[in-house]
Amino acid sequence: MEYDALVVGGGIGGMESSLKLGDMGYKVLLVEKEPSVGGRMILLSKVFPTLDCASCISGPKMSSTINHPNITTASSSTVLGIRRTPEGRFLATVKKRATYVDPAACTGCQECEPVCTVAVPDQFNADLVPRRAAFLAFPQAVPKKVVIERAGTSPCTDTCPAGIKAHGYVALIRNGRYEEAFQLVLEATPLVGTLGRACYAPCENECTRDDVESSIPIRRLKRFVADRHYETMQGPGVVAPEPNGHRVAIVGSGPAGLTAAWQLARLGYGVTLYEASPEPGGFLRYAIPAYRLPQDVVERDIANVTALGVEIVTNSPITDLEALHHDGFDAVLVATGTPRSTTLGIPGEEFAGVQSGLELLRDVRLGAGPDWTGQRVVVVGGGNVAMDAARTARRLGARRTIVAYRRGRDEMPAMASEVQDAAHEGVAFEFLVAPVEVLGDEHGRVTGVRCQRMVLGAPDASGRRRPEPADHSTFVIECDAVIGAIGMVPDTEDFATTLRVGADRRVAVDPLTRQSEVEYLFAAGDVVNGATDITRAVGEGRRAAHMIDRFLTGRPLDGFVALDDRLAAVDKAAVLARQRTYTPREAAPDTFSLSDGPTDFSEVERVLSEVEALAGAGACLDCGVCSECGQCVRACPADAIDLNAKDQVIEVDVGAVVVSTGYKLFAADLKPEYGWGQYANVITGMQMDRLLAPTRPFNTVLRPGDGKVPERIAYVSCTGSRDRTVDNPLCSKLCCMYSVKQNQLIMGTLPLADVTMHYIDIRAAGKRYDEFYEQSRAMGASYIKGRVSKITEKDNGDLVLRYEDIENGGAITEAEYDLVVLAVGVQPNREVEQLFTDEHLDLNEYYYVDEPDDDLDPGRTNIPGVFVAGAAAGAKDIVDSITHAGAAVSQVAAYLERRRDDDLINQELATMELSR
Amino acid sequence: MTSTINRDPREVIREEPLMHRPILEALAGGPLTVPEIAEILGRPSEEVMIWVMGMRRYAKLVELREPTDDGFFQYADTSREVRS
Repeated sequence: MEYDALVVGGGIGGMESSLKLGDMGYKVLLVEKEPSVGGRMILLSKVFPTLDCASCISGPKMSSTINHPNITTASSSTVLGIRRTPEGRFLATVKKRATYVDPAACTGCQECEPVCTVAVPDQFNADLVPRRAAFLAFPQAVPKKVVIERAGTSPCTDTCPAGIKAHGYVALIRNGRYEEAFQLVLEATPLVGTLGRACYAPCENECTRDDVESSIPIRRLKRFVADRHYETMQGPGVVAPEPNGHRVAIVGSGPAGLTAAWQLARLGYGVTLYEASPEPGGFLRYAIPAYRLPQDVVERDIANVTALGVEIVTNSPITDLEALHHDGFDAVLVATGTPRSTTLGIPGEEFAGVQSGLELLRDVRLGAGPDWTGQRVVVVGGGNVAMDAARTARRLGARRTIVAYRRGRDEMPAMASEVQDAAHEGVAFEFLVAPVEVLGDEHGRVTGVRCQRMVLGAPDASGRRRPEPADHSTFVIECDAVIGAIGMVPDTEDFATTLRVGADRRVAVDPLTRQSEVEYLFAAGDVVNGATDITRAVGEGRRAAHMIDRFLTGRPLDGFVALDDRLAAVDKAAVLARQRTYTPREAAPDTFSLSDGPTDFSEVERVLSEVEALAGAGACLDCGVCSECGQCVRACPADAIDLNAKDQVIEVDVGAVVVSTGYKLFAADLKPEYGWGQYANVITGMQMDRLLAPTRPFNTVLRPGDGKVPERIAYVSCTGSRDRTVDNPLCSKLCCMYSVKQNQLIMGTLPLADVTMHYIDIRAAGKRYDEFYEQSRAMGASYIKGRVSKITEKDNGDLVLRYEDIENGGAITEAEYDLVVLAVGVQPNREVEQLFTDEHLDLNEYYYVDEPDDDLDPGRTNIPGVFVAGAAAGAKDIVDSITHAGAAVSQVAAYLERRRDDDLINQELATMELSR
Repeated sequence: MTSTINRDPREVIREEPLMHRPILEALAGGPLTVPEIAEILGRPSEEVMIWVMGMRRYAKLVELREPTDDGFFQYADTSREVRS
């Protein structure tokens, strides 16, 4: 793309430059970092000295800018760098930030705003009031398009292997929208109640709040909304779509199969689930003990699936996958998990009393568990199944349960919380111990396990240190039962004729699409990956369903944005840096009731109360800003919101550059003696301008501390200007006059208010500026010459100013006010230093863009072809900015015409050379 | 009560959605000023001011036409009928 000129910054200087260049016939690209052009001027109440409405003056210019046929405006965009081309032009790299809203579709209706679940400070109202993450910058924004603020994917959401939008449902709960939170999880999986209990919550390990004091209880919040839904509603609350005519068979009804069925059914597929066992659910039903996951919760979750018309055929092991295809299924998904246990592989496994952990857990779920009252049980293994088996043994009456594990506690694959809970329930641990033989009596019953002590050697392929025998000595742990829980493998022998099955019995499929070499056959979950956990299996089911849908609709097998194409996770350090201080909160309450002698299988964890849930959700830091709750997407009548949009980086070729990046306002907290940021009733001039504007954040001018209508208002001029203590000796030129303007406006808005300005001297050098000042005095504003040294606060929020009263003998005096306005000055915007990558843009000694000959050649910089317009070159009011932009534009036009002439001459010379 | 700011404003603002219910419950008996709501909630008035103004922005609350003699506006729940 080629333009005659690039204008960086869409404030009054940038707009004026663009319009004048456009009027001259030059093609202009205007790049503005904010969602709207207009800069600060559009945020002002009125302008001095005419007291014209700022919006009324600025609005038409904004509109003209973006509608001008020669101007292309890139809002929400940043210039990443500008470099010179060999032809003497410039190549600019421009990043167009995703706004997640299609500007062509958005009508600016703002229906998305009230439903947004995230509140952040409104920078366009000087942080005086909250706005939403989905927001229109301000009512007069041009373009009038909503944008959605996203800093990245929140770490909790980013880490979820199921692609569940954890931040989203937490934000919905904080807003009291519990059913919407339930529905958001349902978008990923029907297993809301199950995951609310049995998920290992990797989200909580990544929670940024954990770096402050403790993670928020994300998993338990999911359970909270699941329990509320199931208490009050029948079915999932989702309407089954019209059938699309395709049929899909899913073999295996564990978490992967159920999730895939759910996803496909929501798309209108006719889904049949085949389950070998008498009841559906796989490990959810047969491997996770009821004290962690009650049966009725699994049944409610499964009922979500059947509510959409999914047929579940139980007691139906599938051995012939091709036959399903022949029976009319367009695609088949294998999701049979890892139902086989790895044997211990030691002598004595045939003795009565030896069984696998999976067998034990299944027997107990079927009501056929052993009675181990008073017996001793050894569980071999260190994974979650071993922990479940050991805790189950305690509930079956075992007086002593020992977990024997060949590595140390730190190397255990079981979740730390599971190990901890097992220990709480009286399970004992023998670490660095490997069984070498099961011992039995003459009746064939177990009497003990002979074990060998181990030490940890070098790391193995898994990265964990390999256990090695310490010596040749052994010892015996006496016991009445031995439970082997050292691993699980898939049962895939029957599939080997149609699918590629590895030596480890896992099915080999494409790692991205889960499609096998037989195109209608897919496989997902533990049958592909080996034993993992429920949440990973849910993610697998989602992926497989997505790919099956793509396959059956003739589309490329890609586009799984739920897990493959998320926005990068936001940097936690950057999140924490958003606040200066954090108020510590109490950690979420312990909701477990564990005893060292459990006697039944009743659930060991209670649900959070509503108060606890709100407190937990209220601690969320909104890391990604937008929570991805999706409420805006639903609310948008124009279907304009796409949360999967991406930033774009483009390169543009331009003939000249105009730098019009404006200024920064002085940070008032750098004058701590004035109390801004400490006393709520001390505000800045920009904050007062917002309070006076027609689109103000409050209903009128009110004290931010308590909402009182102020009657005594003081101004402190030169805050951060002409002040070497803050390294700014310059006069900011506009503070006196904006203060005088505000004095007059306040007297109009609050006729009973007294306005006093504490000043060093009034600088009113401009057309009709002095008359404007005198008019203010005549209206009743008081002006006291002398610097304010300190502001303190009284118990009622009133403020005491200590100042030098020069015109009355220089006495140190104190006066009380309801509200104090600091007339903050301006500072250079040093972001310009990053603009040019291969040439150095000179700044003057005060870090404004240098004009080497500003008297006779205003607007020209040290780089040929680069010009500066407005306050980027020094403090200027609106009038001066416009005038300066005019000068810069003249320079640009002259430069472009000179270059055009030079190019023509060079072309003619080249033609003459050729003709010779 | 002073208006000294004790918490980071971003933290206070983030809580606005969480505070809708307690504030609306406080207004169940009729319109109240910011200090009155603050007293009922036991929260600093400058924090309540932020929440009330956020709720006003999104039309959950509306101010009565005139301030009280003490110079405070009263705010009412927009879902309830109020006589100013």
